[in-house]
Amino acid sequence: MSTPSPHPWRIAVGLGSCGIAAGATALYERLAARADGAAVRVERTGCAGACHLEPMLELYSPEGQRFTYVELTEDAVDRILAEHVGAGRPVADFLLGGPAHREAADRYLGKQKKIVLEQCGRIDPESLEASLAVGGYTALRKVLGTMSPAAVIDEVTRSGLRGRGGAGFSTGTKWKFAAAAPGPEKYIICNADEGDPGAFMDRSVLESDPHRVLEGMLIGAYAIGASRGYIYIRAEYPLAVKRLHKALADMRAAGLLGSAILGSGFAFEIEIREGAGAFVCGEETALIASIEGQRGMPRMRPPFPANKGLWGKPTNINNVETWANIPWIILQGADAFAALGTEKSKGTKVFALAGKIRRGGLVEVPMGITLREVVEEIGGGSPSGRPVKAVQTGGPSGGCIPAALFDTRIDYDELTRTGAIMGSGGMVVMDDGSCMVDIARYFLTFTARESCGKCTFCRIGTTRMLEILTRITEGKGVEADLPLLAELAEKVRATSLCALGQTAPNPVLTTLRYFRSEYEAHILDRRCPAKVCKPLLTYTIDPEACTGCTVCAKRCPTHAIAGERKQPHVVNQEQCIRCGACVEVCKFDAVLVE
Amino acid sequence: MAKDVTLSIDGRTATVPEGATILAAAKSLDIPIPTLCHYEGLDAFGSCFLCVVEVEGRRNPAPACSTAVAEGMVVRTGTENIRATRKLCLELLFSDHLGDCLAPCSMTCPAGTPIQQYLNAIGSGQDDLAIQIVKQALPIPGALGRVCPRPCESQCRRVALEEPLAICWLHRHAADVDAATGTTYVPPVGPDTGKRVAVVGAGPAGISAAYFLRQMGHAVTIFEAQEEPGGMLRWGIPAYRLPREEIRREFQAILDMGVTIRYRQALGTDFHLADLRRQGFDAVFLAVGAPRSSGMRIEGEGLPGVFGGIEFLARASRGEQVPVGRRVVVVGGGNTAIDAVRTARRLGADEVTLLYRRTRAEMPALAIEIREAEREGTRFRFLAAPLAIRQGESGLVLSCQQMQLGEPGPDGRRQPVPIAGETFDLPVDSVIAAIGQRIEGDMLLKEAVELDRRASAIAVNPATMQTASPWLFAGGDVVAKESDKIAVWAVGSGRLAAIAMDQYLRSQPVVGKPRTFQVAMGTTPQEVPAARYEGFTRAPRPQMPELPPDQRVTSFREVELGLTPAMAREEARRCLACGCGAASDCNLRVLAVEYGAQSSRFAGQIRDYTVDLSHPEIFLEPGKCINCGICVRLSQKLVGTELFGFVHRGFKTRVAPYYDQETDGTVTEALLKISVACPTGAIMSREELGKRHCACLSWKSPA
Repeated sequence: MSTPSPHPWRIAVGLGSCGIAAGATALYERLAARADGAAVRVERTGCAGACHLEPMLELYSPEGQRFTYVELTEDAVDRILAEHVGAGRPVADFLLGGPAHREAADRYLGKQKKIVLEQCGRIDPESLEASLAVGGYTALRKVLGTMSPAAVIDEVTRSGLRGRGGAGFSTGTKWKFAAAAPGPEKYIICNADEGDPGAFMDRSVLESDPHRVLEGMLIGAYAIGASRGYIYIRAEYPLAVKRLHKALADMRAAGLLGSAILGSGFAFEIEIREGAGAFVCGEETALIASIEGQRGMPRMRPPFPANKGLWGKPTNINNVETWANIPWIILQGADAFAALGTEKSKGTKVFALAGKIRRGGLVEVPMGITLREVVEEIGGGSPSGRPVKAVQTGGPSGGCIPAALFDTRIDYDELTRTGAIMGSGGMVVMDDGSCMVDIARYFLTFTARESCGKCTFCRIGTTRMLEILTRITEGKGVEADLPLLAELAEKVRATSLCALGQTAPNPVLTTLRYFRSEYEAHILDRRCPAKVCKPLLTYTIDPEACTGCTVCAKRCPTHAIAGERKQPHVVNQEQCIRCGACVEVCKFDAVLVE
Repeated sequence: MAKDVTLSIDGRTATVPEGATILAAAKSLDIPIPTLCHYEGLDAFGSCFLCVVEVEGRRNPAPACSTAVAEGMVVRTGTENIRATRKLCLELLFSDHLGDCLAPCSMTCPAGTPIQQYLNAIGSGQDDLAIQIVKQALPIPGALGRVCPRPCESQCRRVALEEPLAICWLHRHAADVDAATGTTYVPPVGPDTGKRVAVVGAGPAGISAAYFLRQMGHAVTIFEAQEEPGGMLRWGIPAYRLPREEIRREFQAILDMGVTIRYRQALGTDFHLADLRRQGFDAVFLAVGAPRSSGMRIEGEGLPGVFGGIEFLARASRGEQVPVGRRVVVVGGGNTAIDAVRTARRLGADEVTLLYRRTRAEMPALAIEIREAEREGTRFRFLAAPLAIRQGESGLVLSCQQMQLGEPGPDGRRQPVPIAGETFDLPVDSVIAAIGQRIEGDMLLKEAVELDRRASAIAVNPATMQTASPWLFAGGDVVAKESDKIAVWAVGSGRLAAIAMDQYLRSQPVVGKPRTFQVAMGTTPQEVPAARYEGFTRAPRPQMPELPPDQRVTSFREVELGLTPAMAREEARRCLACGCGAASDCNLRVLAVEYGAQSSRFAGQIRDYTVDLSHPEIFLEPGKCINCGICVRLSQKLVGTELFGFVHRGFKTRVAPYYDQETDGTVTEALLKISVACPTGAIMSREELGKRHCACLSWKSPA
């Protein structure tokens, strides 16, 4: 099943959600329309991770050499066809590694190590052939042909792979439990219920290289003895769902699913279950309940799903990224994987790097790299050049790590020691224009709303914490709010049923720990140091800088600004609603915000 | 056979089968672990998290209901952290628990009368039951039913609809019905304890203490300065409001419980406290009242024709034709002032004026009393204060200062301020000063009783009524601050003192009433969610049948004649039944006391108020639900399908009924079992509500 290409040139346009958002569809169509079909094959591919460089494409020369073109325009694709394909002269202006994009190539990509994202942005995700051409299902072939289930589990265990969904439990151990659980029928589940706001690791992998995940599931099913697998994916990921359906259909046609996979005695089937977007359904017992048609509500563990899972049968659940690591481990060996990373955190981790960062996107870094390297080298610091203040890992379940701790390594235990967590891969960078109280409030708004409502501390405690935070950001906080907030946060953390409640206080606990002075400024001085919390801001006009151009007065929605033409203007504080419109329109930086 | 596991709980050793939970292991040792969501026979659920315990080696508290025991496990159930966690857990539950444990009327009543319960008895035609309920708290409901200023009615939620329930008239009704039987109901006396208590003063406080002490089995001797019992009820309240026969009837019934009374025994004159100790009384209850009028502190106060209100009413009560003349001015705005003007009218004065330094709106007297005085011809001079009294050519001349209302004072009422230069004179025959009453402080000091700093009351512990001398307790007006100098407060203080004296006499810690816990939907009827009032028909309060005004001023006959039985029943059925039907056995409430939880530590968003009356046997009040899920799980077990289920997400997660209105007997049977299992009052059987005297008489039944 090789994929002989009749075309000497191949162009793969990044059509992941990020590429589409950047306008790649039009460029793809333009290329497809203008390229000489005999000379160039134009394909679609997924996200290559460098979201800040979209739209982008990969060009493969007849010699197999790869060129990455980034920040494309219509002019750019026309030139690539004319100059590079037509005349063999690479178009340096858009070439990654070219003079305009050398830093991105060196620093953004140089520090990364791609295992999970190996083929993302390179192959056509809707083509099984494309996957096979780059070694897809070779690991499965090896497992079915040469390894016993126990040997597979042993290999995965020795690799040191830990759950990439956030909790970091040893994948091999988890498989061992499920394999050992008695019962004729077992299930595996791929948890693709990626719910953190701002996180898109799983979505990108499923959109860009679904077969890598599916191959991992097949290997896991073989190791555990499962006969059926489910992919629980949120319905908000339509492109990923579509590509998974296509991939499953192709696999059935190719004998990679069904009763005798690759001619072996191994039988397996995979079904897709779409979730309705409840964050808590990422919790494994809630996820199982949801697949069963029950309300997505966690239950007490034990019993663990390995013993009593889906429909009461032994069940193993792993996250998308975990499954995607499996084929590489089988092919390259546990030792190669374990050679990457720190003592207890092996391999790589994919992060969605976002926020106040110059080079955002999906990055895959070896474990053990420092936060500083990720933020400063890969990410390039803040776009404004203002100092980066903190990084939030783990999304709403994680915590804010201050710049002073940026030498912390990407390692499950080191991150946990800071009060944050590895999480599933959200990484939000904040500069001094981010209010840490507001950040905590933002994340808690999410978790409070997403609580399943079952246990007392999570259901009511998170809401009470949110009310206190809201009060503080509105300038109505009192001194007693801080100990009350700390008490609630600690008890909600210690005494909630599932990880949603146990981790929901993390943003509050870490910001209280590292940025207490910001809380105090809000409460004691009625001041937001980052100038984010509107009720605490005062807008005034600097009479020296104001030219009396009247633009601000005309724009002000509440007519709070008065003044004669060519005379300094004044803000009426009673009428001002602190919308900031005057700041935006003033050409003379005359509006002061305190 | 599962093998056994041995573990340590609170330092004791438990041996239980493998797989058992910590909760079960603790139970085997009779170590209580609180839980609201665990239900015997159902799988562990883990929603309330009250059952958390400390397990050695674990960073976080573990829920005992769902944590399996392990060999050698070390469990601690009552550490400081665990207690703090449970307390916070309860406080979070209360912050989203919309209901009233007790009705606001009962909460407000200084005697803690179970009002909702007797209203329910009257409303359901059980007047005999009503008097028994009333007399759990009020020894003299007939008297109080005529004179009480009814703080309870000001808090009645019904005011948000139209008018408060006639709470006071209804316990009078119960007492009147009881009186008509010819025998006055009193509860049984307790077995003799051999302890003797002296009660000084046979007013409402003293008789209340005697009444409750006798039920506890203590011997009681009352020492009364006058020749009849009743105190201020007898000597300070005119007969047209409170017939003497009513006082005699109710007080005699209590004396008949085996109380010895000695008349014409005034403390400080006829005997001393030390005598009582010498006579072997084990405890003494001082309830000598505040029998003196406060002075106006103006010139001419000593002139003939100037009376103190208390003394004036006492003389009139003895039947004396007090020579007040034709033109009488009464100074003051309270009930004593109104009693004085109406009494003066009955003594023949035809030009009676009430002088008050604020306006009608600020008068502390009951509105109905003010109205009655007006109907009887009283004139009102508001915003006027006395300056001086001098002898005129014919009678006295009262000089007055014109006032205006200024800023609100510490009590919230606007303060009267003199208008400079504006004075006027009133020619009068007599002036009655009804501006307050005071205690006999000098006499008490001679008796070595400790007074408060302003020497205006005996100093007591307000929870126990105990003075600095452990054997000496005090109650009633001699203890009360000015606004508490009312009979119902005196009755309540007598009961409280009896409880504390009983503890003292039995050598128990003297702590007063056991602590209880209350949540309330709001502190005023207006704070209560508007939805609380939906489904009720507006209905006015009844008009009290009265003696026609022309027959009143010529006699001291009782003016208010009492409600008819039909009126009483109809009125009782207006009750909104605010108090919770589960208040007596609510687990949440019991635990709140045990853990010292505060009901309003967290303010914020809270459940909506709704009721569901769709099922004929079941009453749902989801505002009280704590999401324990017992109903969801138990229904699955009982009928194989969920009759309730969780809906919504986050803070708004609720348990909603899934059953149809058309339900078969099996479902009803299951619902009734579930109503018993519900740990709060969120699911109640209507029949059970009725039995607990909280039947929703005034709820509209679904059409």
